[in-house]
Amino acid sequence: MSHVVGIDLGTTNSLVAYVNDGVPVVIRDASGDALVPSVVSVGDAGAIHVGREAQQRLLTDARRTVYSVKRFMGKGREDVAHEAEHFPFSVSGETGGVVRIGLGDKAFTPPEISAFVLRELKQRAEAFFAEQGEFDNEVDRAVITVPAYFNDAQRTATRDAGRIAGLEVLRIINEPTAASLAYGLDKRHTGLIAVYDLGGGTFDISILKVEDGVFQVLSTTGDTHLGGDDIDVLLMDTVLNEISSDTVGRPFRAADGGLTPEAVQEIRKAVIQAKWDLSDREETDIVIGGASQGAPYKRPLTRVEFERLIAPIVERTLGPCRQALADAALQASQIDEVVLVGGSTRIPRVRQAVAELFGKTPHSELNPDEVVALGAAVQADILVTGNRDMLLLDVTPLSLGIETMGGVVSKIIMRNSTIPATGSEMFTTGVDNQTAVDIHVLQGERELVDDNRSLARFNLRGIPPMPAGLPRVQVQFQIDANGILSATARELRTEVEQTIEVKPSYGLTDDEVERMLLESFEHAESDIAARLLIEARNEADSVIQATEKSLHSPDFPEIEKTELAAGERQRIESIVAGLKMVLNSSDRETIQKWTQALNDATRHLAEVMMNRSVKAALAGKNIDSM
Amino acid sequence: MQACPSCGAGAPLDAHFCPQCTKILPLPRRADYFSFLGLPRKLNVESSVLEERFRTLSRQFHPDYFYNAPPAERRASLERSSYLNDAYRTLKQPAGRIEYLLKLEGLAPDNPAEASRKVPPALLEEVFALNEELDEIREERAGGAPAEAWRARLERARQPIEAKRVQHEAQLQELAARWDAGESDGDRRAILEALRDRFLERNYIANLLAGIERELSTSP
Repeated sequence: MSHVVGIDLGTTNSLVAYVNDGVPVVIRDASGDALVPSVVSVGDAGAIHVGREAQQRLLTDARRTVYSVKRFMGKGREDVAHEAEHFPFSVSGETGGVVRIGLGDKAFTPPEISAFVLRELKQRAEAFFAEQGEFDNEVDRAVITVPAYFNDAQRTATRDAGRIAGLEVLRIINEPTAASLAYGLDKRHTGLIAVYDLGGGTFDISILKVEDGVFQVLSTTGDTHLGGDDIDVLLMDTVLNEISSDTVGRPFRAADGGLTPEAVQEIRKAVIQAKWDLSDREETDIVIGGASQGAPYKRPLTRVEFERLIAPIVERTLGPCRQALADAALQASQIDEVVLVGGSTRIPRVRQAVAELFGKTPHSELNPDEVVALGAAVQADILVTGNRDMLLLDVTPLSLGIETMGGVVSKIIMRNSTIPATGSEMFTTGVDNQTAVDIHVLQGERELVDDNRSLARFNLRGIPPMPAGLPRVQVQFQIDANGILSATARELRTEVEQTIEVKPSYGLTDDEVERMLLESFEHAESDIAARLLIEARNEADSVIQATEKSLHSPDFPEIEKTELAAGERQRIESIVAGLKMVLNSSDRETIQKWTQALNDATRHLAEVMMNRSVKAALAGKNIDSM
Repeated sequence: MQACPSCGAGAPLDAHFCPQCTKILPLPRRADYFSFLGLPRKLNVESSVLEERFRTLSRQFHPDYFYNAPPAERRASLERSSYLNDAYRTLKQPAGRIEYLLKLEGLAPDNPAEASRKVPPALLEEVFALNEELDEIREERAGGAPAEAWRARLERARQPIEAKRVQHEAQLQELAARWDAGESDGDRRAILEALRDRFLERNYIANLLAGIERELSTSP
């Protein structure tokens, strides 16, 4: 059986988890690392790097590296114009169309970039299952999480990313609700829970009622543009201000006087480190500049100064908390449990603010970075096994409405409605024999069309010709359990079904997603080739190093005299020289052939060295034990 | 009766699953929230009973449990879950129940938006007095009167409206109790009509009070 996983596709880091014998487990790499940085970079030869490798490349090749792409999901060019300048990569796209992000020589949509990260997670999980000795290690289905406050376009973009990565997206679920599922495993809570989720780029607050294993979300709200990234920007601005003075800043400048993108990334890395330090220390230093940049910049930062700096950001999270309580018709004191999610909740000031607001110490037993992926795995397990112990009933975070006369929005499905939910509206025609009607669908809480998020334009066609005002077309809007909208329409007098053509305002059409899926398969092949080449080089490197170490060991002259055949050393040396010559070519097979030859040529030498060290060890033992 | 699309057996109209083959049934065109939830068509609903029905039925219908089912059953699960959620949301609040009952009994206004703007005849006097008072208060405020002065006046203007609201809530409750007691047919019609009038007035009063709140919260 192929496998199903839960994925937390984060702004900063992403994770993959699965359920093993009823217990959710995060999948780690060989070094025990669960986090895959949501960073994608393209090398000069076109090879795609994802995760830690890509993150490293931010410091060496920032222009060809993309991060925080989640902020661009489901957005239009105009939406992101003001913040694009903060990023080293290029952000473009047609007016009124999807954002395009430059990566190397190509421009990708945010779902395509996210798909690289998802594919990396898929591969990580597949490698893990293969290692577990699974006969079928394929991972083809996933539950992917999104911030609760994501709108329809952002959810759809996330689902598209999954499809482009070759995953069947079983369900899109909200991050705070996923976290509550992960917590629900250990203890059977009954009561009211507040989930405070401050991640890298987004903030969510959800209030849930848990009873008989039913996790019912009462209200949710948040800010899709508030998180650890904003704290980093504040700290970076502080540093940038200081090094703008000529003497301090000179080492960081390029020839034209500006900061190189790599220098900016180095500053970013340093302030993030300082931020982390202050989670368990009162004071730290922001240290920037190694040997490459000459004199380093070093600046002390106390927790007091840090807390003063981030106070406005912490405060911005409290308004939504109060709103969510009011929407659920609850007082802060009625909340039984508070759960913290997201890396930014490690900041002591954040914890303190949450504790003060709700009047109780928040839960943090589970790793705030991992809890969302664990919950996604639980939901994935529920979907494939039909296990009915737990049920998640989520809500739609934003009201759904349509444009009416005078640019006013008429709401059809109210926010905080449990999903799946439906709503319907009657339409008629304005002129005789009119057979089509345009419907503009929006999401948001404001009165006027322009203040809300345009989701799509529906073109309703096939209305039977009748005098104006006579047709009664009922359009039924359906928000499914993913929080994603669809619509059907019927003329009630004639019972004729209408076709609805959906033009997403900031999304991809099905055809575009299909095409990207195909392209990604082609890409996957060149990815694999690049990866195999790198692996071959690494292997050759390590064989050369081991051989040279042996040849230069103090015992070698003795060994050569007593144990090696005549010409054996010369033969080894000439193969090392040959391998070094082919090492930097792109010909993987030749590199592998020479590596194999060196392995063969050194087998005897390796045995000899091994025997000698075993003898030496045994001798040492004898002396010790005497 | 409805026919089960899976096995063809007949099933009662308010059944959620086929009694023969146990498959989930599609939502019938003529459903109503009360019978869907297995509740009598009454205005006083014990909230613990409603909550319990909601959870129990959610556990039976939710799309989570039909992921591997054939498309027709998946559609039925989505329809029933959506309908359940809409029913629960509507019947949770007393006002939602009255509004829904009026609709079921054919007494809902044709154009709700228009109906809520029209001043109910029983409130003409109060609304006239209030509007006059509001005009004067706005004038006073524009003339630079201290906030305490016009705020206090606004507060006084609010009181008779607030009293009306309390009175209407009591009348609605009494009418609801009479409806639930199940009187004879002729009376039932009269009760519904009275409910409709009080309900429209109640909504109008709520809007008036919200308007005063807005005036109170605007800074001078």
